[in-house]
Amino acid sequence: MSASDEELPKLLGDCVHCGFCLPTCPTYVLWGEEMDSPRGRIHLMQQHAEGAPLSESMVGHFDACLGCMACVTACPSGVQYDRLIEHTRAEVESEHPRPLRERALREAIFALFPYPRRLRALRGPLRLYQRARLDELVRRTGLLERISPSLAAMERLAPPLGKAPRLPERVAARGGRRATVGMLTGCVQREFFPGVNAATARVLALEGCDVVIPRTQGCCGALSLHSGREDEAKEFARRTIEAFEAVDVIVVNAAGCGSSMKEYAALLAGDPAWARRAEALSARTRDLAEYLVELGPRAERRPLPVTVAYHDACHLAHAQGVRSQPRALLAGIPGLTVREITDPDVCCGSAGVYNLLQPEAAGELGDRKAGHVRGTGAELLVAANPGCAMQIATALRRQGAEIAVAHTAEVLDASLRGLGRGALITDAP
Amino acid sequence: MTEKVTRLAERLAVLLGPDAVITDPVRLRTYECDGLTNHRARPALVVLPDDGAQIAQIVRACVAAGVPYVARGSGTGLSGGALPRTDGVLIVTSRLRRILEIDIANQRAVVEPGVINLDVTRAVRPHGYYFAPDPSSQQICSVGGNVAENSGGAHCLKYGFTAHHVLSCEVVTPDGEVVELSADGPGYDLLGVFVGAEGTLGIATKVTVRLTRVPQTVQTLLAAFGSIEGGGTAVSAIIAAGVVPAAIEMMDALSIEAAEASVACGYPPGAGAVLIVELDGPQAEVEHQFAQVKALCEEAGAFEIRVAADDAARALIWKGRKSAFAAVGRISPAYLVQDGVIPRTSLPRVLARIDELSAESGVRVANVFHAGDGNLHPLVLFDDAEPGAAERAEGVSGAILDLCIEHGGSITGEHGVGVDKARYMPRMFTAADLDTMQMVRCGFDPAGLCNPGKIFPTPRLCGEVPGVRKGVHPLVEQGKADLF
Amino acid sequence: MKALEAVCADVRPAASGDALVAAPASVEEAAAVLRVAAEHGLAVIARGGGGRLGWGPPPSRRDLFVDTRNLDRVVEHAAGDLVVKVQAGLRMDRLAAVLAESGQRLALDAPLPAATVGGTIATGAAGPLRHLYGTPRDLVIGLTIVRADGEIARSGGKVVKNVAGYDLGRLFSGSFGTLGLIVEAAFRLHPVPAVREYLTAVYADADAAHEAVQAVLHSPAAPSAVECATIPDGIAVGVLLEGATGRAAQVLPLLGQGARVGDAAPEWWGRYPEGAVLIEVTGKPTALPDFLRAAPNLTWSACGHGYVGLAGETTPAQVADLLVALRRIGGAVVRSAPAQIRDAVDVWGPIPALSLMRRVKDQFDPEHRLSPGRFVGGI
Repeated sequence: MSASDEELPKLLGDCVHCGFCLPTCPTYVLWGEEMDSPRGRIHLMQQHAEGAPLSESMVGHFDACLGCMACVTACPSGVQYDRLIEHTRAEVESEHPRPLRERALREAIFALFPYPRRLRALRGPLRLYQRARLDELVRRTGLLERISPSLAAMERLAPPLGKAPRLPERVAARGGRRATVGMLTGCVQREFFPGVNAATARVLALEGCDVVIPRTQGCCGALSLHSGREDEAKEFARRTIEAFEAVDVIVVNAAGCGSSMKEYAALLAGDPAWARRAEALSARTRDLAEYLVELGPRAERRPLPVTVAYHDACHLAHAQGVRSQPRALLAGIPGLTVREITDPDVCCGSAGVYNLLQPEAAGELGDRKAGHVRGTGAELLVAANPGCAMQIATALRRQGAEIAVAHTAEVLDASLRGLGRGALITDAP
Repeated sequence: MTEKVTRLAERLAVLLGPDAVITDPVRLRTYECDGLTNHRARPALVVLPDDGAQIAQIVRACVAAGVPYVARGSGTGLSGGALPRTDGVLIVTSRLRRILEIDIANQRAVVEPGVINLDVTRAVRPHGYYFAPDPSSQQICSVGGNVAENSGGAHCLKYGFTAHHVLSCEVVTPDGEVVELSADGPGYDLLGVFVGAEGTLGIATKVTVRLTRVPQTVQTLLAAFGSIEGGGTAVSAIIAAGVVPAAIEMMDALSIEAAEASVACGYPPGAGAVLIVELDGPQAEVEHQFAQVKALCEEAGAFEIRVAADDAARALIWKGRKSAFAAVGRISPAYLVQDGVIPRTSLPRVLARIDELSAESGVRVANVFHAGDGNLHPLVLFDDAEPGAAERAEGVSGAILDLCIEHGGSITGEHGVGVDKARYMPRMFTAADLDTMQMVRCGFDPAGLCNPGKIFPTPRLCGEVPGVRKGVHPLVEQGKADLF
Repeated sequence: MKALEAVCADVRPAASGDALVAAPASVEEAAAVLRVAAEHGLAVIARGGGGRLGWGPPPSRRDLFVDTRNLDRVVEHAAGDLVVKVQAGLRMDRLAAVLAESGQRLALDAPLPAATVGGTIATGAAGPLRHLYGTPRDLVIGLTIVRADGEIARSGGKVVKNVAGYDLGRLFSGSFGTLGLIVEAAFRLHPVPAVREYLTAVYADADAAHEAVQAVLHSPAAPSAVECATIPDGIAVGVLLEGATGRAAQVLPLLGQGARVGDAAPEWWGRYPEGAVLIEVTGKPTALPDFLRAAPNLTWSACGHGYVGLAGETTPAQVADLLVALRRIGGAVVRSAPAQIRDAVDVWGPIPALSLMRRVKDQFDPEHRLSPGRFVGGI
């Protein structure tokens, strides 16, 4: 995905310095500094391209970027900041020596998140995580302290849908098959939000899809790709392509995963053995909401009298341009009211592993977003990305305001199955 | 960094805290230009104050050290008004972004200078109000920048410029004093000259803006013409009919092509020009005049007229226009944005001449303009990789300004003079005109430290601060001036 | 006098006998007159219609009146561009007549019918239309002045949209002849509306009147003017609607019962209040009820500007007390008053940025020869 060196001058030159990206950039919103805006970062990239070394301060500004891609949406000149920052991150990883502690933290993260089984070890009372032999590393870096509040919040705030069964390899369509789709289960989604995956499979089946859930699938590589760990990302991509080659459409319910799979074509473009297969996979990847709107509703929607605030996950809204579809799906549920959150374009601070690497900025952004969510007066927060849900729930909890959180799939599931609002919200007695 | 600046940096770090003072050269360079990139200068120092009191401290420290300073808002200006001084301090207001007061009963709001233009509207919209100045960059430009540049926008045809929407300003004068300038207080209307002075007369630290009632109804149409002439005829007819639309905008074929490539606005294919006309106000009034405007466009030969049925359709019509500048980047590797004004009735002649200039030089020119008030924005396209192309483009761009002056117009309608057009000022004004304007500057900033080098091609000698004098003026005595 | 006669055809002694009057007939002549005045160190008073010559403290010196009556041409009326350029001595009513022929107007009321363009700008005069169109500062798009040293200087131009250089048009608006002599001005124009409707209602007390004014201000009525005045029967509120269509019916209910519509202005509309003492008041729109309670005789434009009139027999102490009360609410400046009152009270009130004003004055008129003492802080 990242830009090649030959393309770099052209990609940098696309920026006309108009500044339209500034108000959408989370770090610019926080600090008001040019260097921590997309325009400023592109300027720094230009300086580096002209020979300025990757200094500590320069790297700091690149690291501070959340990769939310709101600037890509805002840019009238079509600057491909996504490619620029990925290229830059790869350069930083290969050229810039990081201090030991920081390196350890990064290693810990990338040794943990892309591996569902290791992640599973972190669930619950953390009894099993020693088994993954990560305990030393995790303790040394303080990673645990950074993740555990989010996890704790999630334990409390996950919708009371009941225990999710382990998904079979195939879920049959109900009421006449309209399509056969593959489903990505994701890493964080699978381990912390199994209910979301179950709901996704049920909704697809109720809408007439045979759902194929290959056992061979692993991490899609999103976190690695968005953090400059390109080789690692490529390896994950190849494995994902192999796992899903047999299906016509791959439906993804996690925004970050969907966007990275759509980027496989560019990521593996230089690899003759894989380029065409990657391109084909990217072309067949759909976000759940995107796919359901394409397919058109068939199953009956039963009333859900709930007021929801819909949160645009960056990797859905900015990276995939999926904004109207989830809103349309939600609005199609009788009795349900959708409220808009102020500054919808500004990231909540989760941004993949950003909340682990840049906890302060992430915390401030989370607080801002939580404030805006509260401002809607909604009872339920709907987000299509597990990271966002964890991030905002944690921030709300810090503010002493808890709100139920659900994925679009869970809301649809509750409507299609006629479970009523109690499935999503615990009403005060 | 010179010794003087190093000491100043240390002093400012003590006053503002180290986080607010940038000295790292790599970081400093990101501030080397605003929205106009062909002038660049790395500031010696960048400071990011948190409030107006800190700005006053900074200015006083600069004055004490004899170091020039420049204020910058969001850095979106198109004339280099916020171009830093390599030997000076850049005071960035991006952290002064609090809306301090919203007073709907009195139709005003008090904001800090770094507040983004559109955020004012967002904050008051629930009350049925908005902030009228709407430059194309309104989603990012700051109110302080609007004050400095006297920003207009597409709707200034009916609603006027920033000067008409600012009631008072708290200002740090060039000598570091904090004063309140207002339009209706006793004495000179210093606010009137401060707004639009491009940051050369001080720094606004609080701005009281007028809020405008959201109109009862808005109607927007897009009319497609085979040629620019048809569009021009329609504009003249609308004005002659006594209609004052909220906005009349025109785009030519080349700029339509660019906008289409950028935002897929779906303008009618084959249009040589499109006209966007927006009317707003009381329902009955708008309906009556809208029918008139439609008929006049048809008479002028519009081959397709689209009426926006709702806000989404209106936004789509405007999207092409509002993105036009940046969109030109899609059809040309590089371009210059020009900003000139002509009397509206000269439009056909001037456009024909621009066509000739373009043909003679082989330089493509896309035209986007606020047709209602004769404000042209020719976009001069060139390939910066081609030797001599930039110079040719500069030549055409300058010739267009000469054309504006020839027709009794102006070298800038809204982008300002800044550093970019200072050299054109003597073509529009006499030496005495410029000298007289600079008397104001000498009154405000005798030391010449506040955004020096902007607007005026040559600074006026302010001499010592004058007082009440009898007899021969010291400048006359020193042989520096003939008569005062 | 000789030196003046050499450069200007119309020079004569002033009626008062202690000064001269020069009435140049061209911009160049005006410049020559001011050059001569500079050479001879004469104190110069600019004079248009003379209606507001008594406003403000009297000049401390007056050697020469420069009368603009011979500078009364329309230089250019570009009807298609909605722009007019005129000389300063042109009367406002004559200008209105010329523009009306093309269905256009300068959207600026002239409270004094004989006022000239130059005098209107120099005093910042406006009437009810200020609500929508502002004051001279908002409508002047180009200004030519003659400086104290006789140099001719121009700012702005003849296009509506123009940000090249400092806007001296705004600086000179309301400067009372203390910075230079205004000789030419260009204005932006507006079409004359097809329909004019005056909605009026009378209220018993200040709060009721204020409520009506607020109701109109916050409605989408888009009035051209919203006025308020104390009249013998109570407090009158008037709303002017202008446009292509009549829309009084929608707005009338906002004024409550007993409101009426007419196509002519009520008799109190756009006049200075009666009285020998005239005080200009400014404040926020919500200052209206307080001003009404504090002042016996008020006219008020809802955007926050008004006048208080007092009878000539009011004592200086009473005026001083009233000024204190008014200045608790907003700004109050004594515009005209008998000498014994004017000399006994603080005419201006607090003047923010006075030192900056002095510095600007010192630049334009370092010898303080232009209407000396007539302006704030003795400028």
